[in-house]
Amino acid sequence: MNLKKLFAVLAVFALILAACDAGGGGDETTPTTVADDGGTDDTVAPDDGGGDTGAQTGGDLLSAVMDRGTLNCGVNETLPGFGSKDETGAFVGFDVDLCRAVAAAVLGDSEAVEYTALTAAQRFEALSSGSIDMLSRNTTWTQSRDGELGVDFAPTTYYDGQQVMANAADGFDSGSGLSDLAGAVICTNAGTTTEKNITEAMQAAGADFTLTTFEDFNIVLENFKSGACDAVTTDGSGLVSRKSTDEPAPGDWVIFPAVPISKEPLGPGVAQGDAKWADAVNWTMYALIIAEELGITSANVDDMQANPPNGEVQRLLGGEEEKQTAMGLPVDAFYNVIKQVGNYGEIFDTHLTVLGLERGLNALWSDGGLLYAPPAR
Amino acid sequence: MTQSSGPKTAHERPPLWRDATVLKWAAQIAVLFGLIFVVVVAIRSAAANLEAQGLTFSWRFLSDRPGIQLSEGFATLPDSGLEAILVGIVNMLRVTASGVVAATILGIVIGIARLSSNWLVNKSSTVYVETIRNVPLLLQIVFWAAVFVSFPSLEPEGSGPIEGWLYVTNKGLSIPWFFPRESFWQWFVFVVAGAIAARYAFRWRIKVLEQTGHDAHAVGYALGAFLVFAVVGWFAHPLVGALGWVFGGLAWLFGSIPVLLMQIILAVLAVALAIWWIRRFLDSLRSPAGLARLTDDDIFRIGLAGAMGLVAAVVFFLVPGITEGINLGLERLFEFWDTKFNFLEAGTVLEFGRPTVETPGRFAGFGLTGMTMSGPFFGVWVGVTLYTAAFIAEIVRGGILAVAKGQTEAGLALGLKRGQLLRMIVLPQAFRIILPPMGNQYLNLAKNTSLGIAVGYAEVVAVGQTLFNQTGATIQVILIWMGFYLLVSLILSSIVNWYNRRVALVER
Repeated sequence: MNLKKLFAVLAVFALILAACDAGGGGDETTPTTVADDGGTDDTVAPDDGGGDTGAQTGGDLLSAVMDRGTLNCGVNETLPGFGSKDETGAFVGFDVDLCRAVAAAVLGDSEAVEYTALTAAQRFEALSSGSIDMLSRNTTWTQSRDGELGVDFAPTTYYDGQQVMANAADGFDSGSGLSDLAGAVICTNAGTTTEKNITEAMQAAGADFTLTTFEDFNIVLENFKSGACDAVTTDGSGLVSRKSTDEPAPGDWVIFPAVPISKEPLGPGVAQGDAKWADAVNWTMYALIIAEELGITSANVDDMQANPPNGEVQRLLGGEEEKQTAMGLPVDAFYNVIKQVGNYGEIFDTHLTVLGLERGLNALWSDGGLLYAPPAR
Repeated sequence: MTQSSGPKTAHERPPLWRDATVLKWAAQIAVLFGLIFVVVVAIRSAAANLEAQGLTFSWRFLSDRPGIQLSEGFATLPDSGLEAILVGIVNMLRVTASGVVAATILGIVIGIARLSSNWLVNKSSTVYVETIRNVPLLLQIVFWAAVFVSFPSLEPEGSGPIEGWLYVTNKGLSIPWFFPRESFWQWFVFVVAGAIAARYAFRWRIKVLEQTGHDAHAVGYALGAFLVFAVVGWFAHPLVGALGWVFGGLAWLFGSIPVLLMQIILAVLAVALAIWWIRRFLDSLRSPAGLARLTDDDIFRIGLAGAMGLVAAVVFFLVPGITEGINLGLERLFEFWDTKFNFLEAGTVLEFGRPTVETPGRFAGFGLTGMTMSGPFFGVWVGVTLYTAAFIAEIVRGGILAVAKGQTEAGLALGLKRGQLLRMIVLPQAFRIILPPMGNQYLNLAKNTSLGIAVGYAEVVAVGQTLFNQTGATIQVILIWMGFYLLVSLILSSIVNWYNRRVALVER
């Protein structure tokens, strides 16, 4: 009787050990950044070769995504213009289009994207755990995120700055400053750079305040509308976007200070340690900008491909001397991007100009903005 | 296998692989090593994964300045990550402690109401229980937070409902309150002494009641004793200031004691504790005739206790830092209490404060003179209290129904009134049945407070999440969370278990 029990315990224990061993052993040969489903692991592990250099080369997410046939992209669903759901429940927005552009480049189909709606606090976990391939959720590029959080940032796609929004009825106008906010309850969403920025800026302004943070920006806005929060703070673009959709009457809400309290370069990010995948995402972003520079739009891309006006257009759209195959992308990767999604300017106009956001810093460098892509040659 | 047909002699042992003693010991050791192996594999693969992603595992964030402001707590602008987490912990404990008290009272009332013969009371409490416990808690918390948001906004003047006394606004609920002042702890010593005196007075009067059969006013005597101490203490509290010298002396002692001496004391204590435990264990196994029969498990437990005592003693000698830390901690602790009992600074015990509205800039806010409950706190507190009270009500109802009907009938036959019957016969017996499941509800309440993150309450999970989003120390913060909730659960359940053992029927 006792022996039976004992053997049962031992047997269970042996099973546990076996399971752990399999898990542990798998980790040594399989790069961890590779996606969540077992199917891709099998195809990736062999060509990775020596596990010793795993830390440098990381996984091969590019071929994993190609084998899977879909791109897993983490986006926002609470920020109209950048990432939100339309009436049909489909994700739309500037950041969403960046996912579509990468899917078009890598898979040839801008609709082959699995979206995951993430809160600000969830996003980096989702990226480092491998449940998304790419994060495109108005994420600020900072040194600590690059270093400690293990995010590789793609080029900045939107130059933003943090501002504050308050009620005009409380005596604020666009010329107000942070010191006018003394004693206020300021609300923002948890797990963002905004918490630290506003804390430091208010200290610098010498004004005491109360900071309340919520997981969901919709709740932040509810509290602001009811008066439980005296002001809200987040990236200027986010404030403009929410003002355009939620303001009770035009002119009720005011956004200030005129010079933002922080630099917020927003852009997509990928998990650290996979240079090939990072290059694919980076150059998709550059292609969007270069296309705008060269005047390639979704409307004229077929003409441009047939009769390229110059070498750069020819190379970018997959003609002679193209550089895409060397990066592991399909020849017509960027043709598909422009054809299916459009160039940077088109994406901006579709989603952001309609909200009342101006190009400002986000104009091409040749127009006095900050957008500058390396040459495609 | 050959089976010996005759009866075995006592000295004949089975082969090694069938010897129960050997197998048991082998299993214990195998489990121990297996456990260590699993833990090591898990830690190593986690470390490898982190390294592969270029992440570093460091606890530096605990000492770095987080640079974030928290919405409420004892330090809204923490100097270090550790302090930020402590603010979160204290906020969590605040809502847990007040929630446990409120949910217990409400739950008992509703539980009794469910058994009421008054149709309206009975049905409305049933509706309460069925509604509350069948709606997810998260929704309820969000609902109460939204209710709070819909309160009128706070104006510099004219907010109410009773200006200067009670404010109900979406910036907070503010009420008058008594605040402890510099001499509070001196007075508190008298209060504790009063509570002990009340207990003795109560027992004495109950004895008189049992001997004479006349009502001896036990509750009145107990209350009187307590009040005498409290009132005398209110005026005589500086007398206890002498305790400050004792604490000061202890602080000096721990500050100046050589580390080596302290190490020896701690090591001796560790070994003595192990010996004490083993002796008590042996005593508990001993039959009235003084004989003890030890099973293999018992020997293993004795061996483990002894080994742990020795290991602790050795560790105290090998790592002097532990002893230094203990010395420093005790010194600080007694220094802290020294300042609380300084009778040179003796003054007010409690101070009454009414809520005030201050307007430093354009916005009205509550001053520090009243007790203010924030919206997020309100949401979490009301949510977990109502939710847990529904479950406690069911437990109370079950406990009362489980008391044998004969007890009620006997009480009625003695001529007790309904209220007396409930208070003196039914509830004391129901209490024994109620207590163990109550402990589970308290644990649930404590853990459910982590939902506060949804409404912006700065408890330990919300603060931790903010921290790791700023610093990337995800695993470290999660480890801290797990350790903290484990500690709280263990402490809560051991309190309930201890109380349960105390009130349990002594079986013979």
